[in-house]
Amino acid sequence: MTYVFDLGWLAQYYPVFLKGVAITIELTLVGGVIGIGFGIFCAWVRALGPTWMRPPVAVYVELIRNTPFMVQLFFIFFGLPALGFRMGELQAANLAMIINLGAYSCEIVRAGIEATPKGQFEAGAALALKPLQVFRLIVIRPALQRIWPALSSQLVIVMLGSAVVSQIAAEDVTFAANFIQSRTFRAFEAYFVSTAIYLALSICLRKGLDYLGFFLFPSARTESR
Amino acid sequence: MKRRSLFSLALALAAGLSFSLSAAPGARADGLETVMSSGTLRVAVPQDFPPFGSVGSDMAPQGYDIDMAKLIAEKLGVKVDIVPVTSANRIPYLQTNKVDLVISSLGKNPERDAVIDFSDPYAPFYNGVFAPADLEISAVEDLSGKTVGVTRGSIEDLELTKIAPEDATLKRYEDNNGTISAFLSGQVDAVATGNVVAAAIIEKNPPKRPEPKFLIKNSPCYVGMNENEPELMAKVNEIIAEAKSDGSLNAISEKWLGIPLPAEL
Amino acid sequence: MTDFSTWDILRNLLLAARWTVVLSFVAFIGGGIVALLILFMRISRNRFARAFARYYVELFQGTPLLMQLFLAFFGIGLLGIDVPAWLAAGVALTLWTAAFLAEIWRGCVESIPRGQWEGAGSLALDYVQQMRLVILPQAMRVAVPPTAGFSVQVVKGTALTSIIGFVELTKAGTIVTNATFQPFTVYGLVALLYFAICFPLSKYSKYLERKMAAAYTHGR
Repeated sequence: MTYVFDLGWLAQYYPVFLKGVAITIELTLVGGVIGIGFGIFCAWVRALGPTWMRPPVAVYVELIRNTPFMVQLFFIFFGLPALGFRMGELQAANLAMIINLGAYSCEIVRAGIEATPKGQFEAGAALALKPLQVFRLIVIRPALQRIWPALSSQLVIVMLGSAVVSQIAAEDVTFAANFIQSRTFRAFEAYFVSTAIYLALSICLRKGLDYLGFFLFPSARTESR
Repeated sequence: MKRRSLFSLALALAAGLSFSLSAAPGARADGLETVMSSGTLRVAVPQDFPPFGSVGSDMAPQGYDIDMAKLIAEKLGVKVDIVPVTSANRIPYLQTNKVDLVISSLGKNPERDAVIDFSDPYAPFYNGVFAPADLEISAVEDLSGKTVGVTRGSIEDLELTKIAPEDATLKRYEDNNGTISAFLSGQVDAVATGNVVAAAIIEKNPPKRPEPKFLIKNSPCYVGMNENEPELMAKVNEIIAEAKSDGSLNAISEKWLGIPLPAEL
Repeated sequence: MTDFSTWDILRNLLLAARWTVVLSFVAFIGGGIVALLILFMRISRNRFARAFARYYVELFQGTPLLMQLFLAFFGIGLLGIDVPAWLAAGVALTLWTAAFLAEIWRGCVESIPRGQWEGAGSLALDYVQQMRLVILPQAMRVAVPPTAGFSVQVVKGTALTSIIGFVELTKAGTIVTNATFQPFTVYGLVALLYFAICFPLSKYSKYLERKMAAAYTHGR
């Protein structure tokens, strides 16, 4: 038996991949924006927020960072309905990604906040700014700038990790590969193509985040370029 | 510099798309010869598909398909190696030569027939749509506006994809675990699966009972094997015929399905 | 039909967790060895070795581990080599781990000040001696905390092998869910078991980090 690498099925099935790419991008964008926003909030709580809020946030961060994404996803999709919280696979996937990225970006952003020189807080206070204003106007932007590369890498990791949402029937790129595999029995080719798609996506995402950083943090331009 | 390397990598991959790989794993001997010389029959069985294959509280596989695998191995006089697989990957297992036979409640259809061979049928199987009693569904048209869980790549998936109304949503899960969990946790309104599978679920008194709604297809189970293995095929068919006439297959049916083997099989 | 008590559920999950631990060890140790090779290529003076290492890291960090598992499992099989699930899982996880560890360690090597290289060079040490005697011993100390931290990612990465049919903790969870119809309990327990494995590793890595930071500031 000679194995022939055959991509002839692509002509018929490429729309499945296109749809998968759209879903993967949607999940990454929604998960990324809300997840990082939530992460910034949690980072604020852990670094500067009210003391009573810190332990619950710490527990959340540790729980998420020390369990696999897939188990979190299964728990939300299959487990939570037992408590009466039921949601569709896309909502469950979005929620799982937000919760997951929220915990990771919390730790990353917190490192950025804690690296802020003390003098900046003092200067803010001297200008009669309230603590939240100091955070919003003075601290957060340089903090994000400091940790932007780490945050970008984390977002790429989350995008690649989203491959498992196919397990709850969300129709992303991996679902497309599995779907085509079960119709054409061209397993290797289907996974090969989807791997190439993910590689292209992660290259684009990283490039896009570099540009975004370029626009968000004008002061960095002279330093690094 | 770094960016350019990323692009050239992407380009190299794109170029790779057009190659034609012809790795010949050597002319493969007939499966029967391989089995007899190794003294082991490797069989792909389900582990998430009661009563054909599931696990007991000791996690050991049990069910109709497992007994069938044991029966064939015994008649061949070799040891049996039970390999648990999912619905979606059982045919790749065969194609990549990880198993000699697939005994995994496998139904026959043209797509599968094009890539593997089938023995004579060894078990009855009817698949249909199942849903809680209060959901009114009596024909495929009634699925309109409903979500139905199926296992990706199963006969139910392939058939229902063809006949389901436009506005019915099919949710395709990786394996039967996913499909059944999705139904029981209320993620889908109905499931398309085998009659015996639904019966086995009901027997365990689940929170939601999958009652039969309508029949999709009468699709008995076959033993699957790689193409061009005439000797293995002949031997397996011989064993199935023998098991049908001496009553041992009937005993397996009684044990797991609770019904005698249907005469038309 | 068999009935599962909560103890049965936990017992089966614990038994399966063994394989999560074994697989993590294999991936971590195998990955460490491959990572060393990649690291040496990455910082070598040979252009092709450097390029290879860069592409390797780019490829494995730029694609989902799940796809790597699928390709290892079904792809290698098509070449006529029989790959059981545990082997495919071990190989894919090893290669994936290696890509990340190599990058982490490269960062550590590069964090060694240039003066150390120059000093070693002025002592007439050759490249291998510079690495072995001066750079690596220092880099290794810096590398311990992030390496311990990454082991948590390896443990969590093993969860994906359930999808290609390797019966470890997550797979046992899905199987047991279907035999018991108690997804909330089962996945809750699965998550707790992962936490029990990963949390001590995370804490240990944080502790090492703090210890090193303290040593660093006192040293000055």
